[in-house]
Amino acid sequence: MQKYNGVDFYSFEKTLTDEQRSIRDTVRGFVENKFMPLVRDSYRDGTFPLELSSEMGQIGLLGSSISGYNCPGLSYTDYGIICQELERGDSGLRSFASVQGSLVMWPIATFGSDEQKEKWLPALASGSAIGCFGLTEADHGSDPGSMITTATPDGDNWILNGNKMWITNATTADVAVIWARGPEGISGFLVEKRTDGFSSAPIHGKMSLRASDTGELILDNVKIPGSCQLPGAKGLKAPLACLNQARYGIAWGAIGAAAACYDHALKYAQEREQFDKPIAGFQLVQAKLVEMITEITKAQGLVYRLAQLKDAGIDDVYLTSMAKRNNVAMALDCARVARDILGAAGITDDHPIARHMANLESVYTYEGTHDIHTLIIGAEITGIPAYRG
Amino acid sequence: MKIAVCVKQVPDSETRINLAEPSAELDRSGFTRVLNPYDAYAVEEAIQIKEKLGDDTEVTAIIIGGEQVMESVKKDCLAVGCDKAIRVTDELDNAEALQIAKVLTAVVKRDGYDLVLCGKQAIDDDDSQVGIMLAELCDMAHVSVVTDLEFDGNNFTATREIEGGSEVVKGATPALFTCQKGLNEPRLPSLPNIMKAGMKPVELLTCADLGIEVPAAHTEITTYIPPAKRGECKIIENEDPAAAAQELAKLLREEAKII
Repeated sequence: MQKYNGVDFYSFEKTLTDEQRSIRDTVRGFVENKFMPLVRDSYRDGTFPLELSSEMGQIGLLGSSISGYNCPGLSYTDYGIICQELERGDSGLRSFASVQGSLVMWPIATFGSDEQKEKWLPALASGSAIGCFGLTEADHGSDPGSMITTATPDGDNWILNGNKMWITNATTADVAVIWARGPEGISGFLVEKRTDGFSSAPIHGKMSLRASDTGELILDNVKIPGSCQLPGAKGLKAPLACLNQARYGIAWGAIGAAAACYDHALKYAQEREQFDKPIAGFQLVQAKLVEMITEITKAQGLVYRLAQLKDAGIDDVYLTSMAKRNNVAMALDCARVARDILGAAGITDDHPIARHMANLESVYTYEGTHDIHTLIIGAEITGIPAYRG
Repeated sequence: MKIAVCVKQVPDSETRINLAEPSAELDRSGFTRVLNPYDAYAVEEAIQIKEKLGDDTEVTAIIIGGEQVMESVKKDCLAVGCDKAIRVTDELDNAEALQIAKVLTAVVKRDGYDLVLCGKQAIDDDDSQVGIMLAELCDMAHVSVVTDLEFDGNNFTATREIEGGSEVVKGATPALFTCQKGLNEPRLPSLPNIMKAGMKPVELLTCADLGIEVPAAHTEITTYIPPAKRGECKIIENEDPAAAAQELAKLLREEAKII
């Protein structure tokens, strides 16, 4: 099959700068040449190809929207383009970059002390250190404000207790951003690997996001110095602000997964012959392809506008919610339709489609479920939050 | 050491050429343009030499063409480590090898490079001549189709690909090499360097600035002829060689009916 050349039916990319097109080509080249040869085995083995982290760091894919500390300081549009290209490879690859950049480096850059920034940002940017983000608990998912992980002051130290669940990079991380309830509400802490009482365990039996490290974090009387608290993170709005950054990347990334499925299904339909002609020549198949590219193009319209808004400093949560909600659902629909076009072949891992389809089930749920984003937008337009009593 | 890398922007190898009938003109408007892949080996080699020798070494990318070539110059030359670029702006699209070589000669003679690196050929016209002509016009040592290059001071040892084997050539700078696949693996530019590439110096020149006339062509392309239509091609993508062979045998037996 021909190489992947992206999906850009409305020529959004013509409005990009030379530098932005170069960023797209660089990330696309990395995904094509370095990641794609590994993804099938990684997915089968249920592991993330961690050997790519230092190259991702070298290229500048980790924390790319952060300025200073060896980070590139790119715009939101640039960051979106990166996520779109990464998730075209696999949602696990984009998740790795999202967690490292938006959920670990961003809170350190935004809420951390100078000492914390000096210690962690260059190492995380280079990929020599890996980070994870511990907010969700087994019984506290969409309502993280009810978390039961505690932070208890002990002289100049803190004692952390609790469990965090569904944590990307859990077992490989050198540092975890842990959110816990303290005397003054929810606070953030940096907990290093190998701290006494701190451990992790992989989650087995995943049918989705298999090329990603997902696990549990266990905090059993973990004693950390006061200097490990993120001084600027006060209350639940701090971790939610991190999630808003990550969701933005997901809204772009989902388009990459959809584009990968569309592109693959289109080429397959042009080659696959039944009844003496390519199946792309049948009206029902054309209708499916047209529906896919139309929805991808509409989704691109959302994120290109969202990027403009964010680059102009307009960053309301419900704006990102709409793009995440729409684009992930769109991508999941595209993956299912693409699988249909491939017929039986679509269920094997000779093709990328079932992998994307299974991944997108996770993406549909994480960083704010589809339903929660519906309620965030609902609250904005009606003035009545449905999720509060 | 002063190193020049002569590069060209070419249509992407997957560009579809719309040519139904023989014609004097090609519609080039829809072409996606990229750096000539062999030139990427030349750029990478120059940067590796600079990394070995240190900051006194300066790498200059030289290109001929209009404003549209700058995307390739920035991304594939300046963002990966060339220090500066020179763009000759005269209209020389589809020029003969000798015309291009004469213009490049004027630049190389003006600036006095110790080392000149080129791709072994451009993938659009497949001439494979510009680098060698440039070396001859500059009276410089040259080795073509190089797959390995080592330096000891001013002395070089180059390995070049020949039919069925390789050949080791020794000489001294100033010298020109045309680079073959296998010489190195071109790096991807980092995102910070992509952003900085636009700030690196690019000198714009005309032939008049170089004190020469725009070289005249000796020949004229009169007709482009589309290739005869080939039979359909089916690619077996199975990564397991044994399974791929089985699939191939099945197709040869059941579809092509030749075994």
